[in-house]
Amino acid sequence: MKLIKSLAIAAFAAVALPAYAETTEIIVHYPMPNFFKGVMDTISTEYMKQHPDVKITFTSPSPTYEEGLQLMLRQAGTAEMPDVSFIGLNRLRVLAERNIGTDLTPFIKADSNFANEGFSDRLLSLARFNGKQMGLAFATSNPIMYYNADLVRKAGGDPDHMPTTWDEVFPLAAKINALGDGVIGMSYRWQGDDWMFSALLFGHGGTVLSADEKKVTFDGAEGLGALKLIDRMVKEGKMPPLASDAAVQGFNAGKIGISFWTTGALRGTINGVGGKFDLRTGKMPVIDATKGHLPTGGNAAVMFTTDAKKQQAVYDFIKFAAGPFGASVVVPGTGYVPNNELAAKDDRYLGKFYDANPLFKAGLSQMDLMIPWYSFPGNNGVKVTQTIVDNLSVLVEQKTTPEEALKTMSTEVQKLLPR
Amino acid sequence: MQPEGGKPRRLTRFDHREVRAALLLCAPTAVLMLALLVLPTLAVLGLSFTDAELGVPGFQFLGLGAYADLFTDRAFLRAFRNTAIYVALVAPASVVIGLVLALLIEAEVKGRAFFRSVYFLPVVSLTVAMASVWQYLMHPSFGPMNLVLQRFGLPSINWLGSSDNVLTSLALIGIWQALGFNLVLFLAGLTAINRDLYAAAEMDGVRSAWSRFWTVTWPMLGPTTLFVVTITMINAVKVFETVATLTQGGPSKASEVLLYTIYKEGFVYLHIGVASAMAVVFVAVLLVLLLVQTKVLEKQVHYA
Repeated sequence: MKLIKSLAIAAFAAVALPAYAETTEIIVHYPMPNFFKGVMDTISTEYMKQHPDVKITFTSPSPTYEEGLQLMLRQAGTAEMPDVSFIGLNRLRVLAERNIGTDLTPFIKADSNFANEGFSDRLLSLARFNGKQMGLAFATSNPIMYYNADLVRKAGGDPDHMPTTWDEVFPLAAKINALGDGVIGMSYRWQGDDWMFSALLFGHGGTVLSADEKKVTFDGAEGLGALKLIDRMVKEGKMPPLASDAAVQGFNAGKIGISFWTTGALRGTINGVGGKFDLRTGKMPVIDATKGHLPTGGNAAVMFTTDAKKQQAVYDFIKFAAGPFGASVVVPGTGYVPNNELAAKDDRYLGKFYDANPLFKAGLSQMDLMIPWYSFPGNNGVKVTQTIVDNLSVLVEQKTTPEEALKTMSTEVQKLLPR
Repeated sequence: MQPEGGKPRRLTRFDHREVRAALLLCAPTAVLMLALLVLPTLAVLGLSFTDAELGVPGFQFLGLGAYADLFTDRAFLRAFRNTAIYVALVAPASVVIGLVLALLIEAEVKGRAFFRSVYFLPVVSLTVAMASVWQYLMHPSFGPMNLVLQRFGLPSINWLGSSDNVLTSLALIGIWQALGFNLVLFLAGLTAINRDLYAAAEMDGVRSAWSRFWTVTWPMLGPTTLFVVTITMINAVKVFETVATLTQGGPSKASEVLLYTIYKEGFVYLHIGVASAMAVVFVAVLLVLLLVQTKVLEKQVHYA
């Protein structure tokens, strides 16, 4: 009996040991640990449970998308380069233009099961540039309206029937602003990047650049409409020029009535508010019901390894992270909307979550409006973003008119486009 | 190695060994200095003449044209101007207030250590953490600074959100930060003044505190003052943390300062060539400040 047992152990060891030696290690890098650390840990633990032959190791995360991108550009082609990283959707193009990162198209073509896993073409298009599939969208978001129902009520509004157009938002914001005691009516997150500006531009049905990307197209009626709305936020909605952090803190402290920002910040806002007031969310006010759209924020999982032996395993992990299980972890953990369509409907993943957490519904209900966040071409692509923000800030400070701001902004952006 | 008056003496075996040992002992530092200081500086200098970009293989040589572009770059000029204004606000204020406080603390025996520690606290605390505290103090709707203003019936100030105020607000934080360091340096300078000089001045008819200050203290503090002024200016030129955490150069470039612009150009816009050229200009500015200090120090303020 003893002999058999030890023989069995020996045989097991003979089979198991070589298998152990073949463990694939996937090195993963991600940005914004304050948003994603918990989510990443859950996903990798679950993946390793399902795939005992794979070991996932994290390199130290980067605080922002910009720093994450910079790290990948610096380490491209070196031994330190991680196998997978999560890159901001509006920065994927920088990688595509520099030929860094692996095109996923061949892997998707060879994957017979891909169509059944909830990856729609709309989703794929978020990370596609010039026919190259740079990655799979991991976390996606759209802008929503956060509001302090207590302040709305105090100002005579009805928190159960919030305004659905900007024309109704401004008078309500002005009433909240008049409450005094340092209370601010509204804030709109125009600082940081061009994302919230494009929400207003796309809302009018406008576009950023012409199809050949040679000419600015936001200098028309739609762009002017967007800037006029920002002008009215200040004039009619009494929005002060705030630094971005000050706006977040103001809202969380219960001093701002209505705030427009990404649904991705929802979990953070819920934690920040901590039950101090009746926090609610709603849809973005509609500008043009037929032509209007909203930009998609978030990031995509990108494959960086060039080691052919490793690539299939890395592809499998990317698909897992961006797939229904990944979404079922990301959505409750952050507030991002499920990019995977299977995850949203299936009770195994998120079907029941939304009934229990109505705050998360605002972003979900706007999913059919989402179009890609525009990434500008050429080596000034990132600088363009700052140019737009700088011009918005002059307008918010009321040192210019919408017409003039649009003119300066479009001239400056045009100059930064590749000639 | 050369004995007095005689012919150069040949090195003995012992001398050779000593030289070798000396070289060996210097080597680690020399190698590290070369690898971590000299070579990177040369690399930055080299890159500054190119249009290098992060992630793009290869680059073009632009020569001095890279620098010519820099001086037509509005963002860079703005940063240059903002930094100059910031230094002009922070350096004089923190030096003068630091000196006055040092004199007050020096004059009072009781609680000297206490006040010294209190004013020195900002120097030892982490700037980024302190920046968050200032962010709270300066918050437009619930910040204590505005609440105080309101209490006295004064209008609220948008400290960090308005392009007209932002640089002054940042300078205020800068002064608060530099104050303690200057104060401690002045205190050290004051204790070094020979007490006999005051006695001698009194004999010569210097009676009031005011004239005592101008005839003895101020001249004797000369070297200290010069050192404090230069170090404060250099530190002010290097302002970065408060801008990066509080304003990110905004609104509309109103708080764009040199170091932050360099960071953004290189690491956000990925234009390594341009950022290197900016860095070279930045280092040149610092070197000029240092040079002025050493030159003046050698010539004018020497009483010892």
